[in-house]
Amino acid sequence: MRTRIFALTLSIVICVTARAELKWDQTMIELHPAAGDKEAIGHFKYQNTGSNPVRFKSVHTSCGCTAAQSQKEQVPPGEKGEITATFKIGDRTGTQVKTVTVETDDPAKATMVLTLKAVIPQELEINPTFVFWGQGEAPKPKTIVVRAGKDFQVKHLKVASSNPEFQTKVEQAGNGQFKIEVQPRETSRMTGATLTIQSEDSPKMFYAAARVTNAPAIQ
Amino acid sequence: MKSSLVRQALILAALAFVPALGEAIYFRDKISWESPVAASEMVTVDRSRAWGDNAIWVDARPEEEFDRDHVPNALLLNEDRWNDLLPSFLEKWSPKKKVVVYCSSQSCNASREVARRLRGEAQLKNVFVLQGGWEEWLKTRK
Repeated sequence: MRTRIFALTLSIVICVTARAELKWDQTMIELHPAAGDKEAIGHFKYQNTGSNPVRFKSVHTSCGCTAAQSQKEQVPPGEKGEITATFKIGDRTGTQVKTVTVETDDPAKATMVLTLKAVIPQELEINPTFVFWGQGEAPKPKTIVVRAGKDFQVKHLKVASSNPEFQTKVEQAGNGQFKIEVQPRETSRMTGATLTIQSEDSPKMFYAAARVTNAPAIQ
Repeated sequence: MKSSLVRQALILAALAFVPALGEAIYFRDKISWESPVAASEMVTVDRSRAWGDNAIWVDARPEEEFDRDHVPNALLLNEDRWNDLLPSFLEKWSPKKKVVVYCSSQSCNASREVARRLRGEAQLKNVFVLQGGWEEWLKTRK
């Protein structure tokens, strides 16, 4: 019995003293990129606070839009480093949560999930971004509502149609809100237009679409 | 002897359960699980194949993956170039057709995001997410 207790105690002591451990400063980072930024980068810093080296086995991300890189393959005891996660913003909007899964040979914590949260500012909120008419439907105007996003001010809105068959009219609705009335000249044939929407104070362009489709509208 | 072994096994299992429980509570908000999608908004490969020409397939993966291979006649529509790609998709879209969006596998989220934007921003109906994504479609490719 004594031998067993001794063996158990010894194994616990060995496990505790000879462990390798990556201690992370943060496992979740929230980023607030500026309007127009192409990417958002998070730096997940760590230190090996154990007495054994830690080796990275793999680093993979939850989305093709995020790339993650480790500075080194192996982290000696006491050494610091970071995993850099680069999130490609593209045409994404709103709050985006992406994860980076890090696998190491640390038996105590082989897998660590790091979370990158990016809050992308939205200058204009457009609803809906698409209006359509069925072929032969009465060519009555349909409305697209545009609102200034949080922390943005929009005084005037410019709207351009790529096709003169679709006319647009912008009305101010107060409190940073606008109504765009879109009207096709006729609906006897299939056609479409891209509407370019832009605040007069900003170079950023937004888009909506209008189409006459080959089937009755169900909007 | 046998009961002693069982007792030891139970003690070890109980000891292992304590940190597991602690971790489950501590990390409950820290892992981004898949965004929930209602079962009615998901579709199996078999069902979507049966729709034939009444379905438009949308590939929500990055362009490089789409270029390597994709479902025949699928249209590329991802959030990297949403504004550029949406007009081409809308040209092919018809209210009569169902839209099936897929990404790499069951665990990817891009198809859910694209479907959410098509339903929410463009206000399209009959938009479905393919269960199992491209991986599942490949298994049944004839």
